[in-house]
Amino acid sequence: MIGDSLLAEAEIEIGEHKTFTFLNMTFNADTIWSTVIAGLVVIGLGFWMRSKVSSTNPSKIQLMWEALVDWVTVQVESNLGRVHPFVVPLAIALFVFILVANWFELIPSQHLLPSPTADVNLTYALALLVIVGVHIFSVRERGLKGYVKHYFQPHPAMFPLNLIEELVKPITLALRLFGNIFAGGIMLAIIGLLPIWALWFPNVIWKLFDMFIGLIQAFIFALLTIVYFGMASAGHSAAGDEHERAADPQPELSEAH
Amino acid sequence: MPTTNLAESNFLVPNATFFVELFAFALVLLVLARYVIPPINKALTERQEGIRRQFEELEAAKADAEAAENQYRSQLVEARHEAARIREEAREQGAQIVVEMREQAQAEASRITAAASAQMDAERQQVLAQLKSEVGTLATDLAGRIVGESLEDEARKRRTVDRFIAELDGHSVEVEQSGTSMRQR
Repeated sequence: MIGDSLLAEAEIEIGEHKTFTFLNMTFNADTIWSTVIAGLVVIGLGFWMRSKVSSTNPSKIQLMWEALVDWVTVQVESNLGRVHPFVVPLAIALFVFILVANWFELIPSQHLLPSPTADVNLTYALALLVIVGVHIFSVRERGLKGYVKHYFQPHPAMFPLNLIEELVKPITLALRLFGNIFAGGIMLAIIGLLPIWALWFPNVIWKLFDMFIGLIQAFIFALLTIVYFGMASAGHSAAGDEHERAADPQPELSEAH
Repeated sequence: MPTTNLAESNFLVPNATFFVELFAFALVLLVLARYVIPPINKALTERQEGIRRQFEELEAAKADAEAAENQYRSQLVEARHEAARIREEAREQGAQIVVEMREQAQAEASRITAAASAQMDAERQQVLAQLKSEVGTLATDLAGRIVGESLEDEARKRRTVDRFIAELDGHSVEVEQSGTSMRQR
């Protein structure tokens, strides 16, 4: 590779992980442990909130969780027309977990704690989970016949496009997140090459921006998950649009109330 | 530096880490869905319920206050009507009393007037009678003394007195007539 010598000179590691082999399979050790830590942080935040949950005197951590749950519930209601018992927890878990994982990027840990979302293994896993859920949901909503039929709408000639769209969904979902966080890490590494007296200013600016990117990416991932589920229940063809319009008054009513 | 061979150097190709990540996230999802989200939802609905209840109580209190105010206003109006009615009644009664008193006073006045005139008539008659009996004696006495002759003669005496009385009568009738006309006026 052309970049190899350049990168070696600059001492930047890109897409390289501390690996170990188990049962003849390669595992990225750093991604795994930072995933475990991110998972523990999320669960810890959850149980911290749970330990002091109160309906009359909510703590700050509870208010943060409540704001998230409320936002996700409203989004799911307006996209699916009802509160789905699987989609709501999925979107919440995705948002919190991705947010925590993204913000690992900001911790100056000398590659000890890399952001797990900067590894495609995590983003592929999340996207696969989401898209499998979406297809199962789609079959349940429309029946197997309706599910197969929606690939041939509005016209059978659209089948290749519909198929590609369905295939592209998980890939874009995974690579969008990966690309953003991965690029953030590279930017930090490049800024790290600056002399120490010039380093702090761009470093602070970029980390603030990276924090924002991490939030936005977590938000987009969760929102797109909900939107994909919404499309799976109504479809986005002409017929589906009519369905959507017919289902529209319901969330509006619930929101007005 | 970790060891990496060329085949694995493409960072877009996943390796076995994928399965670990899948499992890890599924675990996070399960824990959140089972242990974290239900209490949040419970607290949220409870708080919303509480707020809704507070609003209901507020509405009820407002309705109560409005009802009380309406009652107060209607009572006020009623009291005003009552007061006006009583005032009107009092005015009517007052007017009636005044009329009665006036009638009574007029009756009293006319009674007093009638009594007074009757008494005056009686007194005049009495005086006249007295005069009649005394004037004759007095006059003959005086006249006898003056003329020196006795007027003891019964016939003359009577004649003289009668003439005098007749004159006096004519005079007193004139006086009486003028007196009554003055009173009538």
